[in-house]
Amino acid sequence: MFKTYSSALPQSLSRGLVGATRQTPTPFIQFVRGKRTKKYDLSPAAQKLITQLSVLSASRKQPKMLKLCPEDFVKHNTVQEAYKLITRKRKKAENEKLKQQYESMKLACEDLSKVSPELFEAANKREVSKRFSLELRVPTNYPPNVPWYYDYTPESPEDKK
Amino acid sequence: MIVPRLSARYMSSGPIKSSLMLSRIPIVTRALNPFEKEYFNYQAELERRLMRTFPQYYYFKKGTLAERKFLDIQNGVISKQPNVWYPKGIPDVKHGRDRRFKQNILIPGEEANKNDEKNLSRPIEVNARVTEADKTNNMSSLNRKLSHTLYLIVKEKDQWKFPSFNLESQSLHTAAEKGLVDLGGNQIKIWTVSNTPAAVIKYCEGELVAPTYESPDERIERHYIIKSHIVAGSFQPMNIEYKWVTNDEAASFFDNSYFQQVRHLLANF
Repeated sequence: MFKTYSSALPQSLSRGLVGATRQTPTPFIQFVRGKRTKKYDLSPAAQKLITQLSVLSASRKQPKMLKLCPEDFVKHNTVQEAYKLITRKRKKAENEKLKQQYESMKLACEDLSKVSPELFEAANKREVSKRFSLELRVPTNYPPNVPWYYDYTPESPEDKK
Repeated sequence: MIVPRLSARYMSSGPIKSSLMLSRIPIVTRALNPFEKEYFNYQAELERRLMRTFPQYYYFKKGTLAERKFLDIQNGVISKQPNVWYPKGIPDVKHGRDRRFKQNILIPGEEANKNDEKNLSRPIEVNARVTEADKTNNMSSLNRKLSHTLYLIVKEKDQWKFPSFNLESQSLHTAAEKGLVDLGGNQIKIWTVSNTPAAVIKYCEGELVAPTYESPDERIERHYIIKSHIVAGSFQPMNIEYKWVTNDEAASFFDNSYFQQVRHLLANF
């Protein structure tokens, strides 16, 4: 208690002294656009690198772990299984169809080879450098402004020259 | 081009014809069924919930106008305060995002006039998946049923079939390509999938028989099916009825026996 009292005394004295002397002028702050006001320990280049690394790092950016209650977990598993089942069925049907297509192609070729070996040879000639037509379009979610290009005229041999 | 010699063509069998299965591939993706729609939505929401927080400090420099514009339109989060009861759980805010939920990021920008064609940020207006041809049920149009594969069928002797053509000392696929141009004009571009036939259809005295049917005495007419896609243009025959149909519709137009022999060649959608 005594210690605090003694320490308080010179402070009050000094306050009185400050009031008596001439006040020093406070330095006014001049705002400069773009000037750094905060003191960085690191150079701007190093700071930039840290920012870039922090973008990649997971710290503080990870979402909270998803904890499902038992009922929701069962629901989630059921949904996943249902989708897997549908996909499996579709894949199976697709594979079966491909098999059928292959068999019918094989049958047609065998038949053709018996009936006309010349046609069979022409039908099985290797098509070197055959490419997909560039005009064939990949399906999109919504149609283009003109769904079908009707206005087609074949290139005449004179145009090529 | 090597022209095959067809001297032995009618050696022991009947005539050979080349049949063209011309299809228009789907222009739009197939329609999803209700379960698929729900499932994909569920997966998208899960992914958003488990996504990392958007590091906005990297994209917007601190103290800039761009940063302020971005932050102004974001929906604020409820922060954690001491001695407050939160009925829906205690907020867990990091980098301005409640980590318990998905993050909705709004992008600043003025609403552009949709009629201003030069402005690239105008709102996107999608075209309808159902076209005029669908509404009028115009079966000769290629603009119908955009999400399905369409097949060209023609009426021959009161029966709907894939068009078939006689061979004139050519290979099967060139006969089919040339035959199509002769029948429907040259304002059409097609892309043949392969020179190899996809199937054979046999007729014995005008009656459809199984593809494995063999008979040395009788003359069997053979139609070899060549697959092809229409790329551009249209089929405009002079005096023959034709339709562009989906696989479901083909079942109702074809004879049942004919459909059973070609159904595995048709696409699912």
